[in-house]
Parts: sequence; structure tokens; C-alpha cells
Amino acid sequence: MRILAIETSCDETAIAILQGTGNDIAIEVSLVRSQIDIHAAYGGVIPEVAAREHLEMISSMLARTARADGEGIDAIAVTAGPGLAPALRVGVEVAKTLAWAWKKPLIPVCHLEGHIYASWISSKPPQFPVLALIVSGGHTELVLMHDHGNFERLGETLDDAAGEAFDKVAKMFGLPYPGGPAIAALAERGDSKVFHFPRPMLDRDDAMFSFSGLKTAVLYELRKNDARIHDETFRSNIAASFQEAIVETLVEKTMRAAGKLAPKSIVLAGGVAANTVLRDRLKEAGEHRGIPVYVPALQHTLDNAAMIAVAGYYRAQHGENAVDPLTLVVNPNQDI
Amino acid sequence: MTEVTNSFQETQAVAALLAQRLVGGEFVALIGDLGAGKTTFTQGLVAALGSTARVKSPTFTVMNIYDVPGHSSIRRVVHCDFYRFTKEEELGALELDAYRGSDTVIIAEWPDALPTVEWNPTYIVKIEHAGENSRSISIEDGV
Repeated sequence: MRILAIETSCDETAIAILQGTGNDIAIEVSLVRSQIDIHAAYGGVIPEVAAREHLEMISSMLARTARADGEGIDAIAVTAGPGLAPALRVGVEVAKTLAWAWKKPLIPVCHLEGHIYASWISSKPPQFPVLALIVSGGHTELVLMHDHGNFERLGETLDDAAGEAFDKVAKMFGLPYPGGPAIAALAERGDSKVFHFPRPMLDRDDAMFSFSGLKTAVLYELRKNDARIHDETFRSNIAASFQEAIVETLVEKTMRAAGKLAPKSIVLAGGVAANTVLRDRLKEAGEHRGIPVYVPALQHTLDNAAMIAVAGYYRAQHGENAVDPLTLVVNPNQDI
Repeated sequence: MTEVTNSFQETQAVAALLAQRLVGGEFVALIGDLGAGKTTFTQGLVAALGSTARVKSPTFTVMNIYDVPGHSSIRRVVHCDFYRFTKEEELGALELDAYRGSDTVIIAEWPDALPTVEWNPTYIVKIEHAGENSRSISIEDGV
């Protein structure tokens, strides 16, 4: 089965083609056109509202990927949510048009499911049940995946996502957006034991997270040390201590869930899965428990259509997952 | 009115007072520094309207929509965040006007990120740090 996948939920326009037989899947094409460089030219901040850019890019990307008559494509997968409505709508309307014109099944895919499936792209498939930790700018969730298409949300953040906390701490330091990688780089040179920031929600025996209070704790530490805000050692120590609080909380909560649910594998997913310390620590903790930990290749931690193609491929195995191309609408607040 | 609160519960109680005044069609501008408690305030407001929606920070998602099933005149709350916005033009794609209506309350964090936009808010809520756990919250009528 050959799947054409389209992803436009945020500020990457992405198209991919997957060829699969059983669990044997191969990504034939994966194009990602980021708008980061376009917006950087205007001053470095990425606006999420980028529907017009998607619209300008998607036709030429499609023309490079698939034949105009759709020959060789068996189904079309598209991200239907969550994301920003106008951005999602570009991909969904294109996918609807193609599905209708080519008379091929249309498979809506949840963006968060897609992130989990990023770990299926370049390694042997993780065994079920899979415990997935999704960490990005907009989401922090623990999900138990019983089987393909069968997801159970165990818990999520009550306020800020972990990636958002990274970005806002970067902002406090006056670092440009996006700040996550900049904080991680600062943290590399710092001592994580100098400041003790709260490990939010570790006292609660559930899978819920909260990073708003941690962000505020960092803010007050910076206010107390106003004179040292430009001191490199001070900045590095704050960054390292902050990152340690986030990583420890994420890893500890994941391992507690693993202890209760005995998953056969653990999957790290989402943009913050690019954080080296988080990747290493989660792998280490999983190995300690004898559970294999899958982390996506770095290029698949960011939004891409290859992961949507994999999610769509497994959904397409069941005809009831196909929807009427005339009626599909985006769902900006979609949940897993 | 201005209230000083000493916990997130007290902040949410002040939000509940504002919720009592809402009937639908309002635009609430929510102004405050990082960590002031804007999302906490919104959580209190949405819960006080009778919704069980999971209210989270919209910084990255830009716009969250919560159903308000039990209220007599309000059907939904649109929770926006303009923290990442730099230019008025970026607002167009949000189609915010399409959400304005008598059954909808719009509550917007960081409206001050776009100083040139005329928001015409119904209420202006300002939250300021008054100490590590205390906040000064003022609620004023807008236009």
C-alpha cells in the first residue's frame, strides 16, 4: 500500500510518500518546507499563523511528489488536528480535493499520534503496549498505546507544556525565539545542582504535569539575582538547574507509569524529544527497568509528513477509518 | 475593582467574580507579565462558567476553544494568546471576527503584544506580581 501524507498543522509544510507491506514500511519521499527561514528574515520570530505560506508552497511540493492523476497512490493521509485552524485547513482541503478527484480513501490523522509514530520510521517497530511521552511546545502528555489506533491518555500538563517553559525561560534571559535549544546549550556548561527548582507534581501519584510554577520559580530566582543576569556562569547554572528539574520530572513520571502499567516499550515523541539530556536520561532509566526506549531520529522530532504517513498507513488497514472527502473538517483542539 | 490574592485559588476566585458578569459576546483583555497567572485566571473563569474543559496555556496553540455546556447564554470560550505575535497582519489568519458572537466569550492573553490593534475589550484584567505568591488583580470596564 502506498500512502500520500500531508501535514500543515503549524509552520512546516510537509508531504511524504510511504510504501508499506505489513510491518515493512519505507518512506520513499519526505519533503519539509519550514517557514522558519522566511520569518527569520522579518526579525526571527515564527508566527504560527502561516496559512498563506502553506498555500503558496503546497502545490509545487505536490507536483514534485505525486502524479497528477494520482496513479500509484492507494490512500491519502492528512493531519486534521490539533493545530491552528487556518493552517490545518490548507492541508485538509488539498487532501479532500485529491481524495475526491482520485477516488481514493481519505484518512484523517491526529498530529500527536503522528509524533508517536515517528519512532516507527527508522527502527524496528516498538512492541505493544507502548508508553509514549509526548513533549512539545504545545503538549506534554503520557499516553498508553495498546495497539495501532488504540490510544489511552494517562495524563497531561495542567497549564504550560514543557517546551513552552523552555521557551519562556529563554525569553527571561533575553534569548531569541525559539529558545529551547539555546537553554539546552547554556545548560551544557552549567552545574545543575546550584539552584534547586521545584519538581512539580512529583508528589502526586498520577500522570499529570505542571510547568507554570517552575517557570515562575525561575523568574523569581532571576529577580533576586538581578545584578548577575549577564554573568555567563550564573546563566548556565540557572539553565542547567531548570533543565534538570524538567528532565527529572518527565523521566520520573514516565517511569512511575511504566512501573504500574508494565509496557513492552517506551517512546519519546514531540519537538522536545530533540533535547539530548532528556533522550539520554529516558533511555538510561528505561534500560534500568529493562524496557527498550525508542527516540525518533532528530529530523523526525520536528513536524514532518513521514510520521503522518506511518500513522495513516496503520489507520488505512481498517476501511472504517476512511472518511467522506466532502465532509471532513479540521479539529484545532483535537485530542489523542 | 482591585484585589490582592495570595494563592492561585484566590486568583481563580477573583476570576469567578468576573465570570458572574459575563453573558456572552464579551472580549476580555488579560494583561500581565510572565508567570503572573493569566492562564490560572482563565482556568478559574472557565470553571466558574460551568465548564469542565481542560484549560491550558495557548502560547503555542494560539487559540483554544472550550465548550460551556451548562450556561444559560454562553456556549463557548475562545482562549487566545498573542505572545508569539509581532505584526498586526499575522492576526488575519486567525479569523477572530468569525468567533465573535453573542454566545461566545473571547479571553485574550498578551493583547499588548500587538499595540496597534484596537481590541475594544469589554473588560481589561491586569495581573501584577505583588510578591512570590501574591498578585494584584484589577478588573476595569473597557470601551
